[in-house]
Amino acid sequence: MLLREKINLAVPGEVSGRACISALRDFWRHAISRIWTQSQENQPSLVRAFNRRSYRPELLGLVDALKTIRERILANTLLRGWTRWSVWLLIGLIVVAAVSAKLAGVLLFLGIVAAAGAAAILAWTWRNRPSDYEAACRLDSAAGLQDRISTAVYLGSIDDPSGMICEQRKDALRRLEKVDPRGFFPVQLPGNVRRASVLVLVVAGLFAYRIHHQPPLVSLLQTTARSQLVQSIFSPIVHAMEKDLQRTIALITMKPDAAGEETQRGDAASSSDDLWKANDDKGAGAEDQKDSADAGTGDQPQDELQAPGNQEGTPSGEARQQDSYSQSQEGKSGSENADGKSQQSEQQGPEGRQSLGQSLMQALKNMMSNSPNQQSNNRANQQPPNGQGTPQSGNSHQPGATESDKRGESRGNSDAKQKATQTASEGAGSQQGSKELRKDQETHPINAVPDRVALEASGFKEQTRMKVATETGTAQLAVRDVSPQQDAVTNGAEQENIPARYRFYVQRYFEHADNGKH
Amino acid sequence: MTSSVGTEGQTGGQPLGQQAEFLAEKMAEVRREISKAIVGQVEVVDGVLIALLAGGHVLLEGAPGLGKTMLVRTLAQAVALKYSRIQFTPDLMPADVIGTSVVQENGDGRKSLGFQPGPIFTNLLLADEINRATPKTQSALLEAMQEKQVTVAHTSHLLEEPFFVMATQNPLEMEGTYPLPEAQLDRFLFKLRVPYPGRDDLHDILDRTTQGTAATVSPVVNGTQILEMRKVVRTVPVAPHVQEYVVKLTLATHPENRENLLASKYIRYGSSPRGAQTLILGGKVRALLDGRYNVSLEDIRALMLPALRHRIILNFEAQADGRTPDDLLEEIAGKICAK
Repeated sequence: MLLREKINLAVPGEVSGRACISALRDFWRHAISRIWTQSQENQPSLVRAFNRRSYRPELLGLVDALKTIRERILANTLLRGWTRWSVWLLIGLIVVAAVSAKLAGVLLFLGIVAAAGAAAILAWTWRNRPSDYEAACRLDSAAGLQDRISTAVYLGSIDDPSGMICEQRKDALRRLEKVDPRGFFPVQLPGNVRRASVLVLVVAGLFAYRIHHQPPLVSLLQTTARSQLVQSIFSPIVHAMEKDLQRTIALITMKPDAAGEETQRGDAASSSDDLWKANDDKGAGAEDQKDSADAGTGDQPQDELQAPGNQEGTPSGEARQQDSYSQSQEGKSGSENADGKSQQSEQQGPEGRQSLGQSLMQALKNMMSNSPNQQSNNRANQQPPNGQGTPQSGNSHQPGATESDKRGESRGNSDAKQKATQTASEGAGSQQGSKELRKDQETHPINAVPDRVALEASGFKEQTRMKVATETGTAQLAVRDVSPQQDAVTNGAEQENIPARYRFYVQRYFEHADNGKH
Repeated sequence: MTSSVGTEGQTGGQPLGQQAEFLAEKMAEVRREISKAIVGQVEVVDGVLIALLAGGHVLLEGAPGLGKTMLVRTLAQAVALKYSRIQFTPDLMPADVIGTSVVQENGDGRKSLGFQPGPIFTNLLLADEINRATPKTQSALLEAMQEKQVTVAHTSHLLEEPFFVMATQNPLEMEGTYPLPEAQLDRFLFKLRVPYPGRDDLHDILDRTTQGTAATVSPVVNGTQILEMRKVVRTVPVAPHVQEYVVKLTLATHPENRENLLASKYIRYGSSPRGAQTLILGGKVRALLDGRYNVSLEDIRALMLPALRHRIILNFEAQADGRTPDDLLEEIAGKICAK
């Protein structure tokens, strides 16, 4: 069966990756078991035991014929295997002659491989050679003898045949006289011998060429590389890559000096500076820690460093820093965050004392390793603000939350982080921020805040309760019992156009589907 | 694997070879006699004869007017067996089939309960439109078909051998019918489909039935000879690869068989071991009728459909996809390697 059919049978109408893997696994197991079974069937119990059997004298002619058939089957199998092997060897020789500059070693290796392969084919064929019984089966099949010969061979060792066995033996021999068993199994050249001979000619020509020339493929590549067309195609690409490389080197050498000034200026408006934002946050956080050391708030300014700028609808970095300062002042009253923040300030204390150059180098490494997250953060920061208090202002908390999530795994629990985010939104003066927070989290990309979105989205597909707004408030009504499948069972089974004998199947079908759901 | 090889030299006083030839000749004569009354339907006639010699029962399925009842009556005449017919209806009771105890008066005037045998006490029973009777009445046949006996009032009564049930059912009118349960279906050796006759056969039917008189069928063999033939049949040897093929075929119909995706997708219940027994026994009879003394793969393939089509139960998905047991079996057999 084709693999595709198997996949369709396994998963009708769907060719998914899992179905493909499952089908491939089944195919592999089937192939292995088949090889194993075949080798088991041809174990010595069938092959050699049959050879040792003493057939009745009247069957000796049949046994001779079967012996010839076995030899011919063996010869044909060997020829087929060796021809196939030689085709692959010739292809290998062509590749070697076309690519390799030195042929002696490779040819020696190929010679060894060829000899080993030929010996392996010989051993495998001899091991799986047909027994008398198998040869008889093939003869029956080829001559249309309706299993007479194989049955006679199977019963051939019975010394005193009587009744039906004797009649069967006579019948088999009588029918065998009418056919030429050897004629059905001639020794013949395999079908791919023409292909092999063509390949031999190609190899001979290639080696004759190689006596005075380089490997043709290498020569071809060199000629192609020298051509103007290829150069015109590749030179702009090479130039662009060189420029890119130079720019990167310049950035690496220049940034440690210039970064300190950039951090103090807080100029993060340009897109190139966004790449350094992670390190800016760290540096700014260190400075903020110094400024707000009395309050002991090391985490909150970091979380809010990116957020307030967008909350207020002012994209400038200065305004963002001012907001962070004001929020850090307001954050003093946030006593519930004190534990997590004090831990973080302890952890970040040594980092804050690092030199700015080292911080920038670290930032560069971070940038190279965390570029996808940075890009998502940058996208979030670059969203145009819609004014103060708009629902979009709530989005600005997400990147900050991501940063805190990344670093805050060792700092505190998720409640503390969530509260810190809420405090930040309130501190920014956005009254709608806390109300719109859930909505914003749902609309934000999932990979930005995986843990929080997962909590919301985990029960999304299988809603067992439905939220209903009433005058007195909201209520959650259970919807699980209202199962559409049960209706389908009833409706499907009561259809009048379904014949009576199939109604049971219809009902069973829907009941099974219902059970599978639950 | 050698258990199927008979070693006894003779049965019935003659060498087995001669008995096998006698069987082939007689069955050829029976075919000729049946063909006097039945036009065409060669496969159905062969299937009926194979089931008769294998000791099984046959379920004939076909539209009305195709000669099912005629075939059974003609066969009864050709093999000189006692024949009775039961028309199955919804109000038929089990006692109407197997018999009942009635009060009988002895010669001295004393009364006692005596068993009054039903129509099942015969050699060849035609259960016409068997699916019109209630399951209770259908079940009355279960014991008779398998154990060749009936039990009434705690007393078992053996049926006369050979006992051969031929049931018919109509696949078209399903209203007011009771489909046969799986247990009873499994007791039929073959389920034979009676096809519509072709053009030439139809001409022959018209010529024979609208002109002159009905053909006279003369008896060819009797019940005793049939029993002897059944013994001969069981001595036919089976090669191991043929038996292996039968086992593979039977196992391939099982949905639990993970290697066969087709069966696991479309089949709810696969064939029972009776299916394999049927294939081997039927193959032996077919070989003898063909003048051979061994079962071949060709015999098994030829008997696969009548032997297994009623033994596999399709699931809803198969019926929704319009798959039939016949095409599924053909497909499964095509995937099975003979060796």
